[in-house]
Amino acid sequence: MRVRDENKIDAIQEKAVEIIVESGFDGLSMQKLAKAANVSPATLYIYFKDRDDLIQQVATKEASKMVEASLKNFDPSLPFAEGLTIQWKNRAKYWLKHPKQAKFLEQVRHSPVGEEVYTKVKKEFSLVMSEFVKGAVKRKELIALPIEVYWAVAFAPFYQLVKFHDDGKSMSGKPFKWSDAYMNQTLALVLKALTPEK
Amino acid sequence: MAHVLIFKTNVESEEQLQQASLLLNATDSIIKWNIDREDIDKVLRVESTLPHINDIMKIMMEAGFSCEELVD
Repeated sequence: MRVRDENKIDAIQEKAVEIIVESGFDGLSMQKLAKAANVSPATLYIYFKDRDDLIQQVATKEASKMVEASLKNFDPSLPFAEGLTIQWKNRAKYWLKHPKQAKFLEQVRHSPVGEEVYTKVKKEFSLVMSEFVKGAVKRKELIALPIEVYWAVAFAPFYQLVKFHDDGKSMSGKPFKWSDAYMNQTLALVLKALTPEK
Repeated sequence: MAHVLIFKTNVESEEQLQQASLLLNATDSIIKWNIDREDIDKVLRVESTLPHINDIMKIMMEAGFSCEELVD
């Protein structure tokens, strides 16, 4: 019996993400991945049943890591402004540190694999987030809104900044680089918009 | 703990797959198996209670398939 080699698994994980980001799901074959990760196809098949199983497992692992990153130091009972600030900071840290993995998860989200992965991994995350929002509304720190409207205000501006950063430019091709100052300025406006009037 | 055994085969068509599945399902030691027909090596992956690589190769080959262990 061969023992599970975590170094090999990490290499496989990393290369699979890389290949999928570069060439899409169809661009990944077991042979290509084996070569890229410097393992034999046989090794790949020890750990994964087939390509679909591999994509599923890689996506689940990456999604768990992202959820873990965004829940760091976060508590759903935090005051709304503080909680949302931590969420933005955590997500920014994750995106800036793991751009490939983040892009990969975007691809997963828009694929048939996505649903399964997300129902599994994101359940806990959704529960925490919904507790956070409900508590904030109850304490009158947040306007009661349909969840889509809430998200569109609370997080979409964040992801737009990330997208600008990722593209390296904003609307008219003007160069753009992420800065905490941009983030804080945007976040302040978001908090202002979501806070009930006194 | 199960042994994971990996083989290169030539199982390609749906019909061949069905034929192989009859043989593999009839083998008691096999916990589960699958053949990745998308892969160039048509990889047969077996989880088994026994490390009986040669037996599985024999079963497949007697049915007319090519089957060799895919080594590291």
